[in-house]
Amino acid sequence: MKRGMLAAWIRTLIVQASWNYDRMVGVGVAYAMEPLLRDLPGGRADGRYAGALKRVAGFFNAHPYLTGMAAGALARVEYERVPEPQADRLRRALIGPLGSVGDQLIWAGWLPLSVAVGLVVAVLATVPAGVVSFLGLYNVGHLALRSWGLAAGWRAGIGVAGELAGRWIHAGLRFGAAAAPFSIGVMLPLVGSWLLREFGGNERLEAAIVALLGLLVARVLVPTLSGVRLGLLLVVTALVAGWLWQ
Amino acid sequence: MEGLWWLVLWGTVAGLDLVSLGQVMLGRPLVAGTVAGLLAGDPGAGAVVGVTLELFALDLLPVGGAQYPDYGPAAVAGAATAAGVPGVLGLGPAIAVALVTGYLGEQAVQIVRRGNAADVGRNRAGLDAGEVASLRRMQLHGMLRDAARALLMTLFGLALAALARSWLPLSLRGAVVVGTVAVGAALAVAATGALRLGGRGTARVWLAAGLVVGAAWVLAR
Repeated sequence: MKRGMLAAWIRTLIVQASWNYDRMVGVGVAYAMEPLLRDLPGGRADGRYAGALKRVAGFFNAHPYLTGMAAGALARVEYERVPEPQADRLRRALIGPLGSVGDQLIWAGWLPLSVAVGLVVAVLATVPAGVVSFLGLYNVGHLALRSWGLAAGWRAGIGVAGELAGRWIHAGLRFGAAAAPFSIGVMLPLVGSWLLREFGGNERLEAAIVALLGLLVARVLVPTLSGVRLGLLLVVTALVAGWLWQ
Repeated sequence: MEGLWWLVLWGTVAGLDLVSLGQVMLGRPLVAGTVAGLLAGDPGAGAVVGVTLELFALDLLPVGGAQYPDYGPAAVAGAATAAGVPGVLGLGPAIAVALVTGYLGEQAVQIVRRGNAADVGRNRAGLDAGEVASLRRMQLHGMLRDAARALLMTLFGLALAALARSWLPLSLRGAVVVGTVAVGAALAVAATGALRLGGRGTARVWLAAGLVVGAAWVLAR
């Protein structure tokens, strides 16, 4: 294993600490990549060491779990003495794919699937068992993706796009696109009935009416309304009504 | 409030996990609420609050620079509100406290991001020279800023929880109505998120198939 890989991997865990709208995750990726650059032939005095950090600390964005892939690939090209303009083109070219693949793979696939599995276990067994299932399942995929990304980026260097277009990434995207909505679909009725188990028949009907009304508002009437705002609107209205209804 | 300092610590950790540290999903409401219930001495209440808030959290995908509520400290505050309250009577007020805390957490994240952007300006010379000290300083300051945000949001949420527990004048019937609406709203938000996730093409078929299986499972139990 390349010296500095473990330090770089650990630093990817805080890659978004300085996230901002000017450079997004650029500073974090440069910080994660730094341990990989220490063995450049001229060490820290090598002009490419500071040049690479400066370049990567500019604007950069990617899914946080795939930032290691960028750090590995962008460090590798420094060892291969790839001309700076070409290294910079690689940096800019990685922004789109690392963001969209990560978002689809994790935020729209693995996370909802893991949440649904955790919630189903929670209502069928116990909630602590659901929590452990969720954290275990999710983080197996999460940490594996971080580790693979860093190693693949370092291995592939300038050819990192080939790794990103690999067969298992496509398989993961296809699996997530089917498994996430299916598992969410299974989970919703189970969790709904579990949450309402201590309510009476009338309250269950009222909850169903509120759910349909909320769905109508969020899908048709005000599609831009976020979930937290819709929830606040409904729950605070009910609180005021409940307060007045003494 | 039982386990107050543990709740403060846990809320801060859950808030940090949202973006800055690890993103291992300790801040998901299912996790944060359940653990907060244990710390507050009422695991059952924390579990119900955590599961309900998890439905709210399914509304969105935290892509790119999206703005999203911070449900970690919110779930801690919600669990603290419901702890020790019999049956479902604490659920409605708990969800109200959690949603207010989560919403304010969303706004607070923007303040942290603006603070990080200002840090870029202060460290521009070092960043442009490729100095690792500037990178380290920015990461450290960003993390401290986010930790302070998570701590403040947790303290705010717990203060709101204490206020709701001691002051909120709800009758028995009123508390049940608020709880009913909270569950209905959570289901509406989760259904909206599900339709957004699986609302097109073959994903819609998978979502519909899942709903049929889930409904059959409920009827069969």
